[in-house]
Amino acid sequence: MRLPEFARTTTFRSTLAIFGAFTVCTLLIFGIVLWQTSAYLTSNIDRLVDDVAKTVAAGDPLHTAQRLEDHLRSDPRRVKLGGLFDSAGNRLVGNIESLPAGIMVDAGAQKVTLTRVDDVGRKTQTARAVAERLANGETLIIGRNLDEVPEIFEITQRVVVLGLLAALCLGLTGGAWLSIRSQRRIEEVNRKIQRIVAGELRQRLPTTGNNDSFDRLAALVNGMLDDIETLIQNLATVGDDIAHDLRTPLTRVRIGLERSRNNAQSLVDLQSAVDHAIAGIDHAISIVTALLRIREIEQTRRLVGFDNVKIAELLREVGDLYEPFTEEKRVALTVKTDSEIMVRGDRDLLFEAVANLVDNAVKFTPEGGQIELTLAREGSSGIVRVSDTGPGVSESERELVVRRFYRSDRSRGTKGLGLGLSLVAAIVKFHGFRFSIVPGPGFVAEIAFQPTSP
Amino acid sequence: MFVLEPSIIGAYVSDASVEQAFDPMSARVARVLLIEDDPETASEIRAELLERGYVVDWAADGIDGLAKARAGKADILIIDRMLPGIDGLAVIDTLRKEQVRTPVLVLSALGAVDDRVRGLQMGSDDYLTKPFALLELIARIQALLRRPVENQQIVLRVGPLELDLLTRTAKRGERAIDLLPREFRLLEYMMRRQDQLLTRAMLFEEVWNYKFVPQSNLVDVHMGRLRRKIDGPNEPPMIYSVRGEGFVLRAPA
Repeated sequence: MRLPEFARTTTFRSTLAIFGAFTVCTLLIFGIVLWQTSAYLTSNIDRLVDDVAKTVAAGDPLHTAQRLEDHLRSDPRRVKLGGLFDSAGNRLVGNIESLPAGIMVDAGAQKVTLTRVDDVGRKTQTARAVAERLANGETLIIGRNLDEVPEIFEITQRVVVLGLLAALCLGLTGGAWLSIRSQRRIEEVNRKIQRIVAGELRQRLPTTGNNDSFDRLAALVNGMLDDIETLIQNLATVGDDIAHDLRTPLTRVRIGLERSRNNAQSLVDLQSAVDHAIAGIDHAISIVTALLRIREIEQTRRLVGFDNVKIAELLREVGDLYEPFTEEKRVALTVKTDSEIMVRGDRDLLFEAVANLVDNAVKFTPEGGQIELTLAREGSSGIVRVSDTGPGVSESERELVVRRFYRSDRSRGTKGLGLGLSLVAAIVKFHGFRFSIVPGPGFVAEIAFQPTSP
Repeated sequence: MFVLEPSIIGAYVSDASVEQAFDPMSARVARVLLIEDDPETASEIRAELLERGYVVDWAADGIDGLAKARAGKADILIIDRMLPGIDGLAVIDTLRKEQVRTPVLVLSALGAVDDRVRGLQMGSDDYLTKPFALLELIARIQALLRRPVENQQIVLRVGPLELDLLTRTAKRGERAIDLLPREFRLLEYMMRRQDQLLTRAMLFEEVWNYKFVPQSNLVDVHMGRLRRKIDGPNEPPMIYSVRGEGFVLRAPA
């Protein structure tokens, strides 16, 4: 049999389980209450019959029967039992038909079954009774009906059953309502997700505003969707940028070739036009290569190249590689490494990142300027800093320069792809380090990392 | 600075490569097996190699290429990474398992570092990412055909130039040359490969051991430094620039 949809939800099933547990608890509690109550009632009755028996038995033996009858007279609820029997067991007075079988004399209150006889009729019942042997050999029995206790039991049972039935109805309805509600939300979320998967990236998951777990989950997913949307938009922008950056050199190549095809006067003219064209195409190729490289680093999950890298040594090596270059440009390059810290990373990639920063610095530092390549410790983290005495970038541009193809005003007129800093950012991000352009005089780039303990 | 003009480059390089295209061991023309599926690329490479005096055999897919490579007549294999039939790396793998030790140059449109490493690990000897300059291809073929003998020579000599590997000193004729460690490494690499065209990328990869392409012309700057020390004001030049592509060290004529 197939259960209705809501009955198969987790919410509904947990409701049922909770209801089951609730029932067990209720029964247990009532059981204990009943047990305690009956024990209390019995001990009360026992004391009562004992007292009465003592009162009746005491005093003038001639008036025992009278005292018993007096006791029995005022009994509107018909719970009092009593009897006086002679030594042969024949009833003398009282409302007990015969000496109850198995009753123990002078043994305190006990549970007996006896038959009550009075003007109303004859009835066998259970009672607590005490039997006393009088001095003259007669037996006095004083008892009290115990039917009250089962009555209490019965009433309680009715209450419990009715109460549980009501609770069951309420539980089922509540459970069904809750599960239908959550199911509706899930269905709504499912529909939205299907639309998002189908490409409607602007869709967001619904929230009710009451900050329940559903809302928090939805908020989380929505945040993720925001990120994805931004990324995709960036990608689209980058696509446009690539198209633009490639078209520019390709247009130059095309025009140059076309013009020299028509106008070249000599082989030398043609050759120089072809050289120009090759240079233009090489530029276009280098853009594609650099982009692919960035993408490759961003997508790589490769950690096999990871090892402990001596940062100071790496910086000195970069310095050594760039020293003739800076000298030719009449820029002073200083490498300052006070700390011999190590870091876990891909040495080749880290070298490439630092080399790119230095390359950038050399490009923008005017003659007579200075470039500093520093390794410093700040608190628990290590910092690689490349600073120059060039023009730097304005505060508003600091975020932008890391973006692909962004070329600030300072780079106008210099050769470059506008991709160097994006590459550095990609490498740094891949390592889980932090890359930032900090305020300076000049351009100051920092890579902050967590050193491995040596 | 000595820059070879285009016409001279042509003469110089083809001169050098005709010399190069002979297998010195058996004194015969070097044979190249080109396994490349794009007919246009293949025909350009082929024409270039033929002009330089190589004998070129061409296979358009992996299966044909493997058959021709097994015949074992080629001195060098140029294999495209992505081929119809059998993948280029699978071809190399198969050949290496069959103990065919012919040097292999892989051409690939994939520049991924992992890919590159894999290509080399699978038994290729060098790797070029498409698109590449023809001269770069020629230089690498030459380098593979004439791998330097890692002999135990203590003193390397090219013409008047002497490099003592033990004392770490250099001199040209009687003139002592003071070299920084990095200049020494560069000169040693060049002297072991005299008369060979060494491209910037080759030098950066082999001498400096870096795999990325620097934004600036760092190799040129380092080479300029070295050249000023090697070629004195009144001496005939030994380090030549082959414009746009690389450098050659030769003994003065």
